[in-house]
Amino acid sequence: MASSAIKSGALVALRDLHPSSQYYSQGTSLRVTGKLQEYSVETAIAIIADGSANLKINTQHIRDLNFRVGSIYQFIGELLIHTDNEAVLQARVGRNVDGMDLNLYHQSLRLLKQFQANQ
Amino acid sequence: MDNRLCNTHVKLLAFDLLSLTQTPSFSDPISFSRKGILLSRLETVGVVTSRDLKPNKFLKFTVDDGTGCITCILWLNHLNSPYFSRRHPSDVRLIANAADRFAAHVKLGVVARVRGRITSFRGELQITVSDVVIERDPNAEILHWLDCVRLARNCYDVVASQRK
Repeated sequence: MASSAIKSGALVALRDLHPSSQYYSQGTSLRVTGKLQEYSVETAIAIIADGSANLKINTQHIRDLNFRVGSIYQFIGELLIHTDNEAVLQARVGRNVDGMDLNLYHQSLRLLKQFQANQ
Repeated sequence: MDNRLCNTHVKLLAFDLLSLTQTPSFSDPISFSRKGILLSRLETVGVVTSRDLKPNKFLKFTVDDGTGCITCILWLNHLNSPYFSRRHPSDVRLIANAADRFAAHVKLGVVARVRGRITSFRGELQITVSDVVIERDPNAEILHWLDCVRLARNCYDVVASQRK
């Protein structure tokens, strides 16, 4: 029962996920949160947004999750960067987080990163 | 070593837990310490990202709290394990039923609050689960992060500094 190969999804705000960011690399495991803007049943591609930043999510491996435009979702998965530099998160797990206080989330994330850096 | 926190379910983030010092012993089980303070029990909150069920044996699952992944082992062998044969059968049935209930609730993508003993298997740290609560509040994990940071700074680190 050695520690599984499952990687932890690094917590990242969508606005911090840009091509020059440390998180923007092929295969990085991430956890992202945002409001559902679009969802296609045919392609299982969702687009979530947080402020002006957005990200495509491939949800083909997600089961038992209802997608509602306007609701807030959180996904954990691996980042796939296409040749045209477009990033898509290949989601492993996802959940609806309607009711999450996004201001508290972002402030707590900053505190958490500071704490980790100082340990 | 200081054992003031030994009977407490400490709230530690995964990255902190995974860097505990393991001290092997010939006579006793392995002990775990953080900054010289002995720890034996833990409470964590995170997203369940893997689930491996061996019916009537155990459920092994992973909890990802955003800072790391914690392997959790929930034993489901109470009714056929010699370890429990000395205990009253009705007590063992209650424990077995609770474990079955916890196992049914642990599904991919849920946020679970897990309590248990800090143990080690083949050198890898894990939690031997005593109870599981599924969190419905979408802010529960955030509040757990804040609890962990506050307790580390105002309690666990203070106990460690008093030791010096």
